[in-house]
Amino acid sequence: MEPAATFWDQITFWILAACVVGGALYTMTRRNPVTAVMSLVGTFFALAATYATLSAHFLAIIQILVYAGAIMVLFIFVVMILNREEVAPVALRGLGARILGVVAGLYLVFVFARVIHLGTSAAVPVPSETFGTVASIGDLLFRDFLYPFESISLLLLVAIVGGVVISRSHKKEVAAEQAAERRKIVEQLAHADFPALSDAGAGDAHGGAGGHH
Amino acid sequence: MPATPTAAREGTTDMPTSYYLILSFVLFLIGTSGVLLRRNALIVLMGIELQLNAGNLALLAFSRQLGDQKGHAFAFVIIALAAAEAAVGLAILVALFRSRQTINLDEASLMKR
Amino acid sequence: MLFNLRLIPLMPFIGAALLMLFGRRWKRDTVVLVAAGAVLASCFVAFDAFFTRLPEVAETGGALTDVVWTWFSVGSGDTALKVDLAFRMDALSGLLCLIITFIGFLIHVYSAGYMAHEADYARFFAYLNLFCGAMLVLVLGDSLPVMFVGWEGVGLCSYLLIGFWYTDNANADAGKKAFITNRVGDFGFLLGMFLLFQYGGSLNFAEITAGATPSSALMQPFWLGQPVVFWAALLLFVGACGKSAQIPLYVWLPDAMAGPTPVSALIHAATMVTAGVYMVARLHAVYLLSPLAMAIVALVGAATAVFAAIIGFAQNDFKKVLAYSTVSQLGFMFAGVGTGNFDGGIFHLFTHAFFKAGLFLCAGSVMHAMSGSGDITRMGGLGKKLPWTHGVFVVCWLAICGIPIFSGFFSKDAIIAGAFATDLYREAGLAWVGKLVSFMLMAAALGTAFYMSRLYFLVFTGPSRADAETQKHIHESPGVMVGPLVLLAIGAALGGFIGIPGALVDHPELNLIGHLFEPVLGHELEIPHGIEIAFIVISTAIAASGIMLAWAFYGRGYREPAHQVAFKFPRFVALVRDKFRVDELYDAIIIRPLRGLARLLFQVVDRVLIDKFLVEGVGAAVDVIGRIARFFQMGDAQRYMAVFAIGAAGLVFFASRPPVPDDLRVTVEGMSVQVDARRSGRPSARELQYSFDFDDGREEKQTVPEAHHAYRQPGRYTIKVTVTDLRWGTSKSLKQKVEVQ
Repeated sequence: MEPAATFWDQITFWILAACVVGGALYTMTRRNPVTAVMSLVGTFFALAATYATLSAHFLAIIQILVYAGAIMVLFIFVVMILNREEVAPVALRGLGARILGVVAGLYLVFVFARVIHLGTSAAVPVPSETFGTVASIGDLLFRDFLYPFESISLLLLVAIVGGVVISRSHKKEVAAEQAAERRKIVEQLAHADFPALSDAGAGDAHGGAGGHH
Repeated sequence: MPATPTAAREGTTDMPTSYYLILSFVLFLIGTSGVLLRRNALIVLMGIELQLNAGNLALLAFSRQLGDQKGHAFAFVIIALAAAEAAVGLAILVALFRSRQTINLDEASLMKR
Repeated sequence: MLFNLRLIPLMPFIGAALLMLFGRRWKRDTVVLVAAGAVLASCFVAFDAFFTRLPEVAETGGALTDVVWTWFSVGSGDTALKVDLAFRMDALSGLLCLIITFIGFLIHVYSAGYMAHEADYARFFAYLNLFCGAMLVLVLGDSLPVMFVGWEGVGLCSYLLIGFWYTDNANADAGKKAFITNRVGDFGFLLGMFLLFQYGGSLNFAEITAGATPSSALMQPFWLGQPVVFWAALLLFVGACGKSAQIPLYVWLPDAMAGPTPVSALIHAATMVTAGVYMVARLHAVYLLSPLAMAIVALVGAATAVFAAIIGFAQNDFKKVLAYSTVSQLGFMFAGVGTGNFDGGIFHLFTHAFFKAGLFLCAGSVMHAMSGSGDITRMGGLGKKLPWTHGVFVVCWLAICGIPIFSGFFSKDAIIAGAFATDLYREAGLAWVGKLVSFMLMAAALGTAFYMSRLYFLVFTGPSRADAETQKHIHESPGVMVGPLVLLAIGAALGGFIGIPGALVDHPELNLIGHLFEPVLGHELEIPHGIEIAFIVISTAIAASGIMLAWAFYGRGYREPAHQVAFKFPRFVALVRDKFRVDELYDAIIIRPLRGLARLLFQVVDRVLIDKFLVEGVGAAVDVIGRIARFFQMGDAQRYMAVFAIGAAGLVFFASRPPVPDDLRVTVEGMSVQVDARRSGRPSARELQYSFDFDDGREEKQTVPEAHHAYRQPGRYTIKVTVTDLRWGTSKSLKQKVEVQ
């Protein structure tokens, strides 16, 4: 496969590819979650640049705005809440199956790479002026794909509702539970010290025992 | 390297699609490995994001090859979907943390038989 | 010709914005300054435009235009639609601009005094400014969508202002009623607009007027044998009925009197309610194409005029009488434009704005004096105690009755005579419509004279029927309120002179308003001299007899004849006082069924279908499926993915292998062999490459599974066939021993 691209095109691609892959590897091998998030942001920026080389201008911007800008911020927030470093980064339970899975993944990558290598490399058509611009994609989204577009908003609504419901604080319920437990313990202690009480069940004696504790 | 002047217009590249596809596969592999091997739930979620982005990259490469913008629309939807999924996933994570005080997936084994 | 017409609606909007943001912190004087100043500035610009710039272009049929920006532009070719936010002032919209800004200004000044005790001062003036801006947009818009923006804007402001004192439920209900009834009309407006665009191709007034010829696509039959233009005109008229309070959508106007009196004066007398008339005049080219639609407009207008006048006979609230009077006078205007007398209709709009606004402001003055009450059964003898108000009221009263010299006379006469003499309907075979409308209007004029005179006599003459406490507080209004009153009275008195039927005295140039509208409205109604003079006499006679009749009943207080009528026809009088129970009718046939439907939907659809089946049902279904699925889980998501990857890899591995038979079929014929590497079953659709190694140093690569080979030397050979899948790059080989001799 002879690349017909210019020298600069190639350099751009390889640099960006290196950034992307490097960033991804870096992300996946960090222990500190903050570092990982930051390098993922960097990876996304490199990806956005890659999209731009594919004439996907609108999506490059969206990638930065939404992915790097919003989703990663979300991650940061959560990292701030759950700020813990871990001791050993690799999961140990069932390690065998996981390693096997990675190997399977590697195999698949090689198979696909070979398929591509064997296939014919068609010439890359030059995209039109309006390819990948906001106006033309907006056109597509609002006409042919209006229904999926509107469904996304429904999806986001579901996600919001789900997120709120799942992460609702259960403090009140927890407090109630703890209070109930405390009451139970008090009763048990009362009965343990004064076994006669459980037979008599007299109100004032019970109150007296409660007063001691 | 052949010194053919590029026929591409300014702002486009002539890089063959196969290169982008291989990049996409590699990225997907890295993401999958992260998901499979890491213990920290946050890192796992980030790996999932990498996988989604790999898919996006492949979509956009083919989109350019075929000159059809449907791929862009599809990628757009995927990004929105990734946002929703990240939100819900992180919410679950926060809830998990609140009850178990850990995000170590090894210890999230209550459901295990 | 470009001119900054945009300033005219812009300044009141700026005023409104400033007042909404900062008004509460400002002093009262500043608020009035800003609000009234904005409208006054608009007034100056409008006057400048109308009197100095417009004449330059008007002679040739042009107009002042101002395109602000392109609102939207969609479609292509035949279905393209481009709507600009643009304004256009010609004689028609210019005259209305003058009315709106001038009378608006006067009412702003008046409100400074009237609302002086009001806490929410800034909010009131902000809404007033907003209204003026929206009304100006309506009038100056150069296309139906822009007009509709103003249309809806005034509807909103009407709601906001009627329900200004919203803490009282009744006021809020009145505001809602106005808005909802308007909305019903707006629906018709929209449908009419859609029809016009679909068949006429444009929504721009200039283009509509140009394209409304008998040969246009609008004339093709649409429904019930009537052409498109008929239905479009009719639907647009429905919109006008809603906004301009005609039958059957007038019910909101009397209730709208719950708002402050300046609001009633500005919105429900002089400006907003005239929007419908303006719209019909604007689209005169369309209406002229359908005489049947115009006949309907005229008949509805005339019927409303009579109907509302009758209701006015028995109302006991000052403002309610004026409200029904407005409905009735609007009916006059519609009858005017419906009979082809566009000049007359707009002329009446002009004069009505002055005397009706004057009447309403007098009402405010009187109510101010009577400590806020508008009950005329408790008034009387206010003529001496409120001299200025009295004077203004007399002028406006004579104007509305149609007494000669005063403005109302000229405009009403123009309409009635025009209706009688119109030849619009001759071709449609409906010549009787003009005569009928004319007679109905004369009856309505008689009624108008009667109930307005009743109002006058009961309020301003005779002994006072108020209690002692109220009587002590009766006082004339402050200067800031009286000033506008006087100006309006002057307008009511002299305004008629712009429309003298000059043709009568062979000086046609005296008919200023006719000349003004000639380039815009084109069609001029020719009224034969004899009929004109006859109607002048008849109108005056009607007005005079109405006043005298009212004197007989109510001169200086309630008199014998009034008591006799009430005694002999109690049920009829009660019916009239209850406004013919139209509201109750609507309640029964529309509102109750809707409420019942809503209740039904709630009980059945919402409670059972949605809550039980869909919501709880979905939850239950998810639960069941979850229970089943749980059985198969092991609880570790990462291992799931590992299994997934392994499975996918395995799938790819087995699927990518080339199809290969269990055994090679080798047929030996002497020294040559025939090798067949086909797999049984249907032939593969894949790109395969077969490589035959015959073990004697020779190989063959080909794409068909059979090969023929001749050995040179006998012996034992091992034939190896390698099948390669060219796409996947996988290969598999088979060996077979063969012996050749």
